[in-house]
Amino acid sequence: MSEIVSGAQILCRTLVAAGVDTLFGYPGGAIMPFYHALPEYPGLRHILVRHEQAAAHAADGYARASGRVGVCVATSGPGATNLVTGLATAHMDSSPVVAITGQVSRAMIGRDAFQETDIVGITLPITKQSYLVQDAAELADVVLEAIAVAQHGRPGPVLIDVPKDVQNQKLEFAPSVGAQHAAPLPTAPDDGVGRAAALIAAAQRPLLMIGHGVILANAYAEVRALAEKTGIPVITTLLGISAFPEGHPLHLGMPGMHGEVHVNRAIQRADLIVGIGLRFDDRVTGNLAAFAPRAQIVHVDLDRTEIGRNVPVAVGIVGDAKTVTRELVAATATRRCEAWQAEIEAGRRAPDASFRGGMSPEAILGAIRDATNGTCTIVTDVGQHQMWVAKLFPYRRPNTHITSGGLGTMGFAVPAAMGVHVARPGEPVWAISGDGGFQMNMAEMATMVQEGLTVKLAVFNNGYLGMVRQWQQFFHGKRYSSTPIWSPDYVKLAAAYGIPGYRVEDASDLADVVSRANAVPGPALVEFVIEQEANVFPMIPPGGSLSEPIEAAV
Amino acid sequence: MTALRNVDVLLDDTLLTLNRAVGVLRRRNVGVARFAVRPCGSAGVSRMTFVLDTDAATADRVIQQFYKIVGVRAVEITTVQDPTTQEQP
Repeated sequence: MSEIVSGAQILCRTLVAAGVDTLFGYPGGAIMPFYHALPEYPGLRHILVRHEQAAAHAADGYARASGRVGVCVATSGPGATNLVTGLATAHMDSSPVVAITGQVSRAMIGRDAFQETDIVGITLPITKQSYLVQDAAELADVVLEAIAVAQHGRPGPVLIDVPKDVQNQKLEFAPSVGAQHAAPLPTAPDDGVGRAAALIAAAQRPLLMIGHGVILANAYAEVRALAEKTGIPVITTLLGISAFPEGHPLHLGMPGMHGEVHVNRAIQRADLIVGIGLRFDDRVTGNLAAFAPRAQIVHVDLDRTEIGRNVPVAVGIVGDAKTVTRELVAATATRRCEAWQAEIEAGRRAPDASFRGGMSPEAILGAIRDATNGTCTIVTDVGQHQMWVAKLFPYRRPNTHITSGGLGTMGFAVPAAMGVHVARPGEPVWAISGDGGFQMNMAEMATMVQEGLTVKLAVFNNGYLGMVRQWQQFFHGKRYSSTPIWSPDYVKLAAAYGIPGYRVEDASDLADVVSRANAVPGPALVEFVIEQEANVFPMIPPGGSLSEPIEAAV
Repeated sequence: MTALRNVDVLLDDTLLTLNRAVGVLRRRNVGVARFAVRPCGSAGVSRMTFVLDTDAATADRVIQQFYKIVGVRAVEITTVQDPTTQEQP
């Protein structure tokens, strides 16, 4: 049955019908009709952020944690442009985010009206698809298609730009059956699985390298089955962390720029690498010309354009990681790689201890692990702390490590953790940042208080933009240009926001403070005062070979 | 082996789709020797034609990037030396 409604109401109704339950947003002039309609739809919970960038990151975090689309809302002009970093982050990490932006009325478009900007044009390279809705009659189909496009195949962000007069447009409306974008997922046109199985059977030194695609496809059991059936050691990329349990006898760790020496050595000595759901980006491969010189590569990816783009492949299989890995399990014969694994493990060694005193990343992360019984989801920013978490936190549960991998977005952790909490309200969520990244989006503490979001905030405070400082130390003659960074008193800052704040300067206090912060209802902030000039070891110099790690400060 | 390769992209004749398609060439840093857009003959469809001077593998990856764009209907590639498949001026 049809009735007369506004475009804004159609927007809300269609979001509800599509199963959307949470919006992260910030109102403004050109999106006001939407916000006027919103209270009529209590099924849509709106989280009022303090900056639109946070809305996009929170929607991204929600999407990564829930496996469903995350939705953010902003007004035209600066509201829309503030989304850009969040959309680029989601685009680089294949996260299904739908951004809804207000736009000036149709008659004003192109006149440089107040708060007008071509957000469709601005975001073209960082979205899968975008829409400028010219008629409210199109809105329902556009919203449903946008949600489908964002999630289908390799996920990614989609933008819907809605002029203010389209939101106000009244029309007779009947719920849409939906313009679904449900093209079949690509499948391998030839016997790639059979050829890959033959390579696995013949290999003497095979490796499995798994990435974000395994998490997106929920292919944990299949990957584990493949590893255990063949005995092939498993390497997890930064975004593949938690796709395979830490502590499993076959798990080696993270490769690449800050990968452990034995992991990178294994890559350089391997004669076969089976890569599933990763894109062999430069942080993984180092110098491409010197990457895995002895290895044939089997590459499984849902996105055909990734196959062979960065590394030459012997077998490329286009398909969903879960489906293809299941087929690989069926096609491969049981085998063991004990001698190869022993050779790799013989090269395992503890990294150079760059910390004085007890406030080491191991000790801090161990306290968080103990306080949460290892059940928490960790959301990290970008920098030294991100690498320490990636290398040291013992992930046991799938998809409990969320970070900005491709874009490397400082300021991601705090707002993204809000989205993770909304998606997983009953589970502990810790946002871990450095003192630089935390200060980028720390205003979201107000959002947490107002919206009742239980996120625990850990700030690794070393008084520097640590990773940049480390590069300055290694590659720029220790000229610490603009990397010392002052911080406010975080305990007082937390108090100003009305949340508990703690400072830990002595390792003997770690367990008690972290435990109390984790147990207190609502958000809490813990500042960890750490060694100022600690480094992340090992490190492959930018553009260097995986065979040439820096293992200690010179 | 590097060669001149003619790429025809059939796509929805909306500015947004065209803009996104051209953006692929820019964003992926693809060197284009010649470029043209014209009506295809079918209502609602345009033909974007460009010439790449590259190897077959790179050209194939460019084609696959176009297939990811919503609104792209078909992509065809030929070597420029094949006169039977070239567009007439």
